[in-house]
Amino acid sequence: KERRCQKQTHAHENWALSPEEFETWDRLYRIKESDGIKEPVLPRVQFETLGNLEEPTNPKDEATQELSLWEWRLWQSRPFPTWMVEHSDRCHHFISLMEMMERLRDEQGDCSYEQEIQSHLHMEDVHVGRDKSRCSRTSSM
Amino acid sequence: PRLSPQRLRAAVHYTVGSLCQDVAEDKEVQFSKQTVAAIAEATFRQCANTGKYIKGCFLILCRHAKRSTITTEDVKLLARRSNSLLKYITQKSEELASSNMELKEKK
Repeated sequence: KERRCQKQTHAHENWALSPEEFETWDRLYRIKESDGIKEPVLPRVQFETLGNLEEPTNPKDEATQELSLWEWRLWQSRPFPTWMVEHSDRCHHFISLMEMMERLRDEQGDCSYEQEIQSHLHMEDVHVGRDKSRCSRTSSM
Repeated sequence: PRLSPQRLRAAVHYTVGSLCQDVAEDKEVQFSKQTVAAIAEATFRQCANTGKYIKGCFLILCRHAKRSTITTEDVKLLARRSNSLLKYITQKSEELASSNMELKEKK
């Protein structure tokens, strides 16, 4: 038994899976065609207004399932349970925004947010009659 | 003097409104007032996140780099996760640097 243990630790020193680990992965976790499920992939970031340097998104591959960060938005207006790792400030900002959008969703015409903060506007804080070229059309890049 | 959060919000909302107007004209779409409000609030809160990051930078700078001023290098770090954004910011910062140089030379 001792020998087996030693062998295992030895195999672990490599960055890659040992043959035993590979076997386990292959049998239990690896997604194969016969599984009838699609390979999950994360969406790639694209910038609408910038020249794109990121790797191009693969053309809609039949064999992959792009994970959606948007599909369950109605669930995103309150914090989800946590374990070990607390929600970050950034996460809480996101939740409040979703909450706010939930409130604004049913409004028609006038916007309550606008009415609420309009009286706080000081014109010296903003650019009036901005030079059009200043907010440059970066899409031409 | 510190500006109140509501005053800052109002200024951000106004500016976001005019930027949205430009995009609307460009793309021939319309933004509802509620959409503009949501973008404004998102921008405001994004600044809070960035502000926190900058504050963090500031502390690190003071302790380790013996710098006490936030520089363009710190701003570039904000964009490190996206190549496109990093390239854009770097380009802008080089443009700024060279125009600053020109101004100095004229003096």
